[in-house]
Amino acid sequence: MTAYTVSMEHIPPLLELWAKEYDVHVPVRDVDGFVNFSPWRPSAEIAWDYDVAYNSLKRFFLPPREDLLRFDLAASTAEPVMEAPLQLLFGVHPYDVKAINQLDQLMDQGTADVNYRKRREATVLVALTPEHVSDLAFWSSVGADSVDIGFDMYFTRISPSSFYVEVLSPKGEELLLARGELPRSTLPEREAAKRKKAAIRAKADKNGISFPWKQTPKLMSRHWDSPLWRNKARHCLSCGSCVMVCPTCYCFDVREEADLDLKGGRRFREWDGCMLPSFALVAGDHNFRPEARDRYRHRYFRKGKYIFDKIGELGCVGCGRCVNACTTGIANPMAVFNDLWEADNHES
Amino acid sequence: MSPKNNFSTYAPRPATLVKKEKLSDLVSLFEFEQDNGKALAHKPGQFIMLSIYGIGEAPFSVSSAPEAGNARFELAVRKTGTVTNALHDLKEGTKVGIRGPYGSYFPVQKFMGKDTLFVAGGLGYIPLRSLLRYQLKHRDEYGRIIVLLGTRNPKERIFVDRLAQLKERTDMEIHETVDVPDKNWKGNVGVITTLFPKVEINPQNTFVAMVGPPIMYRFCIGPCMDKGIPSKHIYVSLERRMKCGLGKCGHCQINGLSACVEGPVFKYDDIAPLSEAI
Amino acid sequence: MAKKPKIAFFDFAGCEGDQLQIANLEEALLDLLGHIDIAAFREVHTGDTGGPYDISFVEGSITRPEDEPRVKEIRDKSKLLVALGACASIGGINCMKNHMPESVYREHVYGDKARWYPTYAARPVSAVVKVDAEVHGCPIDRGEFVRIVKELLLGRTPWIADYPVCVECKIAGNICRYDMGRMCLGIVTRAGCNACCITEGAHCWGCRGLAPHANLDAARYAMQDRAGFTREEVQDLLRMYLGFSQATL
Ligand SMILES: Cc1cc2nc3c(=O)[nH]c(=O)nc-3n(C[C@H](O)[C@H](O)[C@H](O)COP(=O)(O)OP(=O)(O)OC[C@H]3O[C@@H](n4cnc5c(N)ncnc54)[C@H](O)[C@@H]3O)c2cc1C
Ligand code: SF4
Ligand code: SF4
Ligand code: SF4
Ligand code: SF4
Ligand code: SF4
Ligand code: FES
Repeated sequence: MTAYTVSMEHIPPLLELWAKEYDVHVPVRDVDGFVNFSPWRPSAEIAWDYDVAYNSLKRFFLPPREDLLRFDLAASTAEPVMEAPLQLLFGVHPYDVKAINQLDQLMDQGTADVNYRKRREATVLVALTPEHVSDLAFWSSVGADSVDIGFDMYFTRISPSSFYVEVLSPKGEELLLARGELPRSTLPEREAAKRKKAAIRAKADKNGISFPWKQTPKLMSRHWDSPLWRNKARHCLSCGSCVMVCPTCYCFDVREEADLDLKGGRRFREWDGCMLPSFALVAGDHNFRPEARDRYRHRYFRKGKYIFDKIGELGCVGCGRCVNACTTGIANPMAVFNDLWEADNHES
Repeated sequence: MSPKNNFSTYAPRPATLVKKEKLSDLVSLFEFEQDNGKALAHKPGQFIMLSIYGIGEAPFSVSSAPEAGNARFELAVRKTGTVTNALHDLKEGTKVGIRGPYGSYFPVQKFMGKDTLFVAGGLGYIPLRSLLRYQLKHRDEYGRIIVLLGTRNPKERIFVDRLAQLKERTDMEIHETVDVPDKNWKGNVGVITTLFPKVEINPQNTFVAMVGPPIMYRFCIGPCMDKGIPSKHIYVSLERRMKCGLGKCGHCQINGLSACVEGPVFKYDDIAPLSEAI
Repeated sequence: MAKKPKIAFFDFAGCEGDQLQIANLEEALLDLLGHIDIAAFREVHTGDTGGPYDISFVEGSITRPEDEPRVKEIRDKSKLLVALGACASIGGINCMKNHMPESVYREHVYGDKARWYPTYAARPVSAVVKVDAEVHGCPIDRGEFVRIVKELLLGRTPWIADYPVCVECKIAGNICRYDMGRMCLGIVTRAGCNACCITEGAHCWGCRGLAPHANLDAARYAMQDRAGFTREEVQDLLRMYLGFSQATL
């Protein structure tokens, strides 16, 4: 992988140039201290040291509400709607890139989801090595501390005024060099970046699942009937916050609305999730997951086993967002996996 | 993977309702014709997504048998909510949107030369009818055909005239029962399991195709195995909530499987270990 | 549609804020008017010769014994009856009086109109007659109201959100009030308003009523045990709109 060294002052003009072609989004801290990806403005102060972005990035690829069709009621015809603005996400942490890579695989599996695909292809991803780790994160223990695909550029801060930038795609190279040639990184700079990544990994290692993550699917298989599901789900509000905030959850509902003249209308999809009570409800009021316990268990099986069975990775990148979002404190894959592991007396 | 042209995953294509026929108080048969003039090219057991614009989209099993060159196909639909009510109100000649066919199907090749035991509960007869009609069309490629059919009460029976015709045939058997009879019902009374003792089969040579309400599987798989039918010969079709039909929306998950892609037709062996299946 | 459906609006105890919302629809209303025939608005008395109506919207909660025959008559004259707004759909703010000394709620809820209302536990329309659909909210969400009317005109059962406000709040990308040390009833309240109060910087008061699977024990646990609010603080918030439900027990 080619790497360049980029100085801090080089970045604002670069963003300004990119913003001419792309909707550029950067991590920005709000007045209350929460960081979110927001449209870049020349005045925007990038939150270089953020630990986790409050909202996940899936909304850039799977918008919370996305039109799929425009239809004509009288003629009963429909036209597909596919919007894909050119966008550039700057400063994405590796675990979030990993989450996007998972969505890529799941949306492409079988029949590709074209609406997703188009948005994804219209996106440039610029990764960034984190400087801080959120107290609730456990990404280093679920194999999400590093990524080697899915991004176009990867920034690592190696000094207060410079970054080591790996470029993965021709697009990434073109964009990085858009304001002229840059120096190739030297060996010491590469070493500095490596150290930086190792240091943050060491910080992240302080919190995590207490066993090798590849054991999780087998662990789950042993615990379908665990009392844990009922105990935790007692406090479940069935509010769906945990799935809405999760960067790897992609479930949706499909609905439609006619225009005011009742002549045309649009069909759209909207975020949905397995924690919501009517998710598996069918005709005759038969619900395949009637109890909060059933739904709660399903979500952890998705994270710990079912997704693994499909793509060989856990369906959780350890960002900790669901842990924070759950107002009753029960959404927490790390705690669930660790509790089940301990129940097997596997603790050393 | 890069999508060529403007192909959309979720855009239906037009079809026209050509014929509508009442089958019971709540169920009607709908015959559609694809506007592109092409055959639907489905396999028995597959489903389509049907759109009535402004109202919504819902999954329905194709009830007719596949037929090369025939752009027409049939759905039998029970009125139960938004889309199904609107469908029942459609006039012949109205256009709808369809996507599909989707999902897995009964392995008609594997069934060749073997006997088939159909176990149908209520509306479960709708997808099984596609398989039955396919086999009857290729009658000499299949062994015995035995149909067990259970309905809640005589009023809810569907395809009544057609069943009467089938009962005349000597190259197949139909055993029917209702849970609760009325004054005029002369046939068997009792749940569908009461039909099992009535049929003699050669278990090693028999395949089972079973579709019914969720509760039925629990009671009918046992008797099939008791008769000595190998579990790998038993096929069931499982209905779940479906929104996309393509393994994306998540609604139809049965443990780790998607009922719309890996199903709706499953080999019993594949779902027996799954606690959410039946 | 061959004939324009005949639509009527009736009001019981409430602030008429919902009809105001509808009057404020202007453009949308004009478009809709092309499809409907408004037969009655506001005051219609028992014995009125109007009707039958295709759709009647009933606003306000049932707070007086004499309201009952009137709403029953409206029901008899209407093909579809839709409860409009929190007062009609869940008893709304009027149910606060069920938990207060009479003198307090009279002043509090009705102000100088208090003398018109004899004592009678406030109740939602559905406690007295069959309701075909409910437009939730205090006030109602105009967008949702228009959508529901369109769905009724197309002959379909209106889609009503059956999950909590949190879903829409996450969709909106808001910072959760609990992360700011504040209380919020979005965790048990039926969605449909796009979490507008949170988006605007406030919190959810529960005006759309309990979501169908609301877990109140868990909500209390979240508010008291986890977020540290007192039992009284929690109770006050729950009583504001959810008086008729089990929330305050
Ligand atoms: C593979 C498959 C094949 C089917 N084949 C047939 C068939 O041949 N004939 C037939 O009459 N019915 C069939 N169904 C059931 C049919 O899809 C539902 O009855 C229909 O979706 C209800 O839609 P609605 O808009 O009328 O009801 P709604 O107003 O949406 O809801 C009414 C009830 O239906 C349930 N429901 C809503 N959406 C779905 C959904 N997508 N899938 C299942 N239940 C749902 C709701 O939970 C509710 O209980 C099939 C379902 C599946 C999954
Ligand atoms: S399950 Fe929770 S911790 Fe894991 S990726 Fe999703 S939101 Fe993050
Ligand atoms: S965990 Fe639930 S909401 Fe998330 S992707 Fe899986 S099924 Fe969908
Ligand atoms: S686990 Fe927590 S966040 Fe998820 S639905 Fe239950 S209460 Fe809501
Ligand atoms: S602010 Fe309220 S509605 Fe929004 S997520 Fe938090 S609890 Fe739910
Ligand atoms: S956020 Fe709560 S109080 Fe505000 S409109 Fe919605 S339901 Fe009502
Ligand atoms: S119907 Fe959407 S995943 Fe199966």
